Amino acid sequence: MRTVGSEQPAEQDLFSDYVGVSGLPVTARHAVNEAMTAHWCDAMGDGNPSYTNEEFALSSLHGGIVAPPAMLDVWDRGGLVFPRHSASPRTKVMERLFADGFDSIVAVNAELEFSRYLRRGELVSNVEVLDDVSSLKRTARGPGYFVTTRHRYTNQLGEHVGDLMFRMLIFRPEAREEPEPAEAEGVPDPDPSLRPLPAINDDNRFFWEGAERRELRVQRCGRCSRLLTPPGPRCPACGSFEMSWTVASGRGRLYSFAVPEHPKVAGFSYPLTVGLVELEEGSRIVADLVGLDPHDDVHIGMPLELCWLEGAPLPLPQFRAPAPVRAAETVRLDDLSAGDVLPLCSLPITTTLVVAGAIATRDYTPVHHDRAVAEREGSKDVFLNINTSVGLVERVVSDWAGPEAVFRSIRLRLGAPGYPGDLLTFSGRVAALDSETGTATISLTAKDSLGDHAVATVELLLPRAPGAPTRPRAPGAPKAPTAPTAPTVPGGPGSPGGRRS
Amino acid sequence: MRRHAYAGTTAICGIGATEFSKRSGRSELRLALEACVAALDDAGVEAGKVNGLSTFTMETNPENELMRLLGIAELTHFSRVHFGGGAPCATVQMAAMAINEGVADYVLCYRAFNERSGHRFGTGVQGRAPTATAEEAQYAWTSPYGLLTPASWVAMFARRIMHEHGVESEDFGRVAVADRRHAATNPAAHFYGKPITLEEHQASRFIVEPLHLLDCCQETDGGQAILVTSLEQARDLRQKPVVIEAAAQGMADEQQMMRSYFRQSLTGLPEMGTCARQIWETSGLSVDDVRTAIFYDHFTPFVLPQIEEFGFCGRGEARHFIADGNIELGGRLPINTHGGQLGEAYLHGMNGIAEGVRQVRGTSVNQVVGAEHVLVTSGTGVPTSALMLGADR
Repeated sequence: MRTVGSEQPAEQDLFSDYVGVSGLPVTARHAVNEAMTAHWCDAMGDGNPSYTNEEFALSSLHGGIVAPPAMLDVWDRGGLVFPRHSASPRTKVMERLFADGFDSIVAVNAELEFSRYLRRGELVSNVEVLDDVSSLKRTARGPGYFVTTRHRYTNQLGEHVGDLMFRMLIFRPEAREEPEPAEAEGVPDPDPSLRPLPAINDDNRFFWEGAERRELRVQRCGRCSRLLTPPGPRCPACGSFEMSWTVASGRGRLYSFAVPEHPKVAGFSYPLTVGLVELEEGSRIVADLVGLDPHDDVHIGMPLELCWLEGAPLPLPQFRAPAPVRAAETVRLDDLSAGDVLPLCSLPITTTLVVAGAIATRDYTPVHHDRAVAEREGSKDVFLNINTSVGLVERVVSDWAGPEAVFRSIRLRLGAPGYPGDLLTFSGRVAALDSETGTATISLTAKDSLGDHAVATVELLLPRAPGAPTRPRAPGAPKAPTAPTAPTVPGGPGSPGGRRS
Repeated sequence: MRRHAYAGTTAICGIGATEFSKRSGRSELRLALEACVAALDDAGVEAGKVNGLSTFTMETNPENELMRLLGIAELTHFSRVHFGGGAPCATVQMAAMAINEGVADYVLCYRAFNERSGHRFGTGVQGRAPTATAEEAQYAWTSPYGLLTPASWVAMFARRIMHEHGVESEDFGRVAVADRRHAATNPAAHFYGKPITLEEHQASRFIVEPLHLLDCCQETDGGQAILVTSLEQARDLRQKPVVIEAAAQGMADEQQMMRSYFRQSLTGLPEMGTCARQIWETSGLSVDDVRTAIFYDHFTPFVLPQIEEFGFCGRGEARHFIADGNIELGGRLPINTHGGQLGEAYLHGMNGIAEGVRQVRGTSVNQVVGAEHVLVTSGTGVPTSALMLGADR
């Protein structure tokens, strides 16, 4: 390990010239537009019709199509050409650090505050202020500096539309001292290719042939259609030997579960939660639960969704929290209580999601699309960029809260990287409710196999129950169905930012 | 109503065991022979009179070797019972049926192994190469997912019992505490002089959550033999006859080997219910006649549904039955007075039959007053068996 202690003293002076300095305005190449919005919605899986459905949007509280608020800092990105603005104080700091071998960057925090939603045709600009450069820190990735900037976003008329606090780690990648611990500590190799082989015979072969096609097959009598689990060559109900199968939907509920701890066996990652899942077709199956903490997340009766473990001798069905379900109706503030829990949900991280998310947020940093570069910079693969994480948080909260929930802010701290093949499991709760402003504060954690990927706090403006005095209106909406009192804008440009998420 | 013909006409006349240890230092065959010799000595029967052997399919010591080395000239009956720990009471039933039918005169039931120092049973089926038999194919539904040990198979049931019946880990713990208290006064028990508290149970590490270490029996080296003959012949022998008042095998309701996860309910033991029905019908007894019982206890959770299946309390009420002290010495139904498999030794339940015999003889170290009829059960979660043993009147 390289020692960095000697470099410690002078650094504050090194950057003091830049701290507090503003850059020049950066203006987007393209106005807020339908195509970029559509790409973003596709990548995030965000089906909120306020962004894409003219008819819905017109009759919504927005009064017309709006842009996803999480795209605030996407519009004015350079894209593939990626010019660094030499006038930017952050660029100056980065150039200096790069010269010293601190040549890798990961995003750490993004705190977005929305004064109002953007609309098509608006041209976004931002002005950056370098807020802080930390002292040299040791991090898991290597020694580095946390660099914090604030960005004020306006439209072509100079109207303020939102703010961003952004913090990145600029670091010198360090070969991590992987403590090759597994064998040494007596923990067997978790490589799933070492899992026990199933004994396959004429009576269960259909199941494993289905698994090869990622189909969860349940035996069904060819004559009387009765389901039979475990399968066998004869239907006990009607006596037929003509056994067939059906493909299960993959939806089910947890019937029971066990958490094996001893002995630990090669092929398995611990903690291991083995579920007994009741499929909606009525039969049961034993399979591992993934992305779920056996103590915090798992309870009998919880809904589950099929996915597949790759890399085992044969593909194995597993179950995860269901994908987010998009609410058609917007939740009302009055129907919520502080402490309410959002339904646990999960989304698989695929290379496609990583790359599509990066490109939809115009982030062409190679670590988000080029595996070779990612590996060279010390990652095992490409990984999710912070804007995709923000986008997914927005999508999950929006799916739960409904199409007319209005985002006021998203504050997100990034932790464990999101690599392809992993799973993001989102757990959230209503942290606070403010009936004065109609605001609900939601805490959300997105966890993957490496730990907490993102911890986020989201502020939402929610409609009130019928008969409640006012209907909140999206700030900046062109028409006001009723005459609401203008909601206070939290976190406007002058407000103290940097609230911890 | 159906009454088994051998019930009341056959008896256990001898019991014999090796010491129970973690390392016997001798072969499994020698352990089997020592146990058989001890049972013959106990009864005062010469080996040459034995013409039947009954054991588990899982047993590694073949009948021909026992015959040869015990000095038996010929055997007219040799039978084996399948499904592991479900077999012990059934080996006695096989013996009783053979004797009542006139097929054999003296039948030795035996089980011996170095399960601790040799292949450890608790490691389950990990590393087992699959063959495509119908029996092995059943493991395809559990092994690839990490349910590889008996503890892991039982844990799935335990969780559901907790969920449906409001059972807590402490309720399982009370079974372990009672067993270990009984073992503490039994010099033959592995845990002689080593009682545990409920706090120790709770503090013990999880093996497969919700099962703590102290919910699980530990493997043993040892051997146990039971000698069965007709009641008539038993009356002329060294010990008071222990009458086989009833014996039963049971398999029911979509039965699987410890993994009957596909049956409607996971909170009962329908195969034990099948045994219970036969035991009560054949013996003509009721729960009021039984003062002590040996319940198979390789893992604590399955003791609860056994109490319920035999009707000592209602469905879902076993936790109250236990918490009220009924299973302790001095209680309504002291269980596993030798310490059970959790406290004495895990001899696949064969040692439990021996304790049932001692209770009827009045020679248990934890003798229950008025133990005229003693219920003994075999393995839980598997196709199983049970016995009602009684005094000769």
